[in-house]
Amino acid sequence: MRTESEREKTAFVMAPRVGMDVDKPDFIGVVDVDPDSDTYGELIDTVEMPNKGDELHHFGWNTCSSSCHAEGLTRDHLIVPGQRSSRIHIVDASDPRNPAIEDVIEPEEVFEHDLSAPHTVHCVPEGKIVISMLGNADGELPGGFLQLDQDDFSIDGHWEHDPGDMEMNYDYWYQPRHGVMISSEWAAPETYYPGFDLDDVEDGKYGDSIHIWDWETKEHQQTLSFGEEGLIPLEVRMPHNPEETEGYVGAALSSNILRFWEADDGRWEWEKVIDIDSREHSDWDMPVPGLVTDLLLSLDDQYLFFSNWLHGDVRMYDISDTGNPRLVDQCWAGGNFADRQTVDDHAVRGAPQMLQLSRDGRRLYWTSSLFSSWDNEFYPEIGEQGSLMLKADVYPEEGRLELDEDFVVDFGDAPGGPARAHEIRWPGGDCTSDVWQ
Amino acid sequence: MPHEITLEWRDGREATVDVREGETVIDATERASLGAPYGCLYGACATCTGRLLEGDLDHVERPRALKPQHRQDGYVLLCVAKPRSDCRIEVGAEIQADLVTNPWN
Repeated sequence: MRTESEREKTAFVMAPRVGMDVDKPDFIGVVDVDPDSDTYGELIDTVEMPNKGDELHHFGWNTCSSSCHAEGLTRDHLIVPGQRSSRIHIVDASDPRNPAIEDVIEPEEVFEHDLSAPHTVHCVPEGKIVISMLGNADGELPGGFLQLDQDDFSIDGHWEHDPGDMEMNYDYWYQPRHGVMISSEWAAPETYYPGFDLDDVEDGKYGDSIHIWDWETKEHQQTLSFGEEGLIPLEVRMPHNPEETEGYVGAALSSNILRFWEADDGRWEWEKVIDIDSREHSDWDMPVPGLVTDLLLSLDDQYLFFSNWLHGDVRMYDISDTGNPRLVDQCWAGGNFADRQTVDDHAVRGAPQMLQLSRDGRRLYWTSSLFSSWDNEFYPEIGEQGSLMLKADVYPEEGRLELDEDFVVDFGDAPGGPARAHEIRWPGGDCTSDVWQ
Repeated sequence: MPHEITLEWRDGREATVDVREGETVIDATERASLGAPYGCLYGACATCTGRLLEGDLDHVERPRALKPQHRQDGYVLLCVAKPRSDCRIEVGAEIQADLVTNPWN
């Protein structure tokens, strides 16, 4: 495999300050995760964005294993979109301890293509980068996909040739060997940006489907609609083994994990494989859903991890039998149900949310913020004091994980003021960045 | 003609700024480094939500992030708002949080 093989030594962490009374831009944080270093567990560098209000959220590489090292390309630039601003930053990350902004695509250039709200970034073969875009230039539906050139990071235009009945967009994954892409649905930016309103769900303004695309012709092929079982299907993960024609999507609001696969006739099918029960809480009028907001597969495709952001746990499932995931362990920290509400004397603000696993599958890291306006509803303390990055040690041979009580990076103490730590990536590629050709 | 805007934060802080002809309220607060929050800058995201306490103010683009009830309650989007008179506006990151509350508790 073409990811770097050694243990991760630093992490890039998105750190937005949107919607906080901190008059500073968002930043990219570099966290030292090398236990032999004097600054282990510390934020060793911050790269502030040139503008305020971006809401850095998800990000990706100029190249990954599907195209890396082909035609001289190396994994040395991060593509860092602003979810709210629609601004796209190109960051030279060739020195992992000292990344620097190289170029900025301003929102107006994005709006010219009648797109906004950039989300998932994947490099794709043939020298391109594709970004899922959740809205049109007015923050309404439909969204689409924006394609950049890997050489000069200029905008090519829309990736898709025929969007079919796809209107909502969120995350996507692809299996180039099988010529397929799968995309998911959140809502229109004008709907989810201001916060989560249950009336919008009842009005059908949130997604409940995923979309199957022909990767070669860039045409929409099929819609899988989940209804009540799959409300707000967010993160899409397919196995790292490029032979596989199946995968999982986490339905955040329904709090289910759904499995999808290609049937013998070439059509795609789905089934629910994990259902998180809502739980009664004495302070809540209604049972609390788990809210499955992120999931990932280990690089060897043996384990599935996901977060229950409202409950407060991260779960580990053995997926050796892909249709029958087996819960092997879970770890609690923060949220509405964990007994553990502090780690190393730091209050856990929020709950497990964005996950990243080490390439060897032995360390699971996470941050605790979801999205500025949604944080304000469910964990308002994040808006005042920022979120945290935590870690659990994973023992794949035993099917076990255990919180590392000595590891906490408190983004409330970030230089220049608190921030909402969000997505995490390693230099060299990781479980959620890399696709194999 | 410029209009004087008085900004009030919920922690008691207060500031005034003249909003010049052609400027939005956020243009003016940025020029004066007052630190009022904002995000998308086109009225879709509500990060810049304020509450109009006194005065008259127009949205120059449709304030998509506000529902009719929010507008009735005096909430405004300062990134697409231009004053028509002197105004007093409640600002700060907390105002956005008034728009949506935890639906289950």
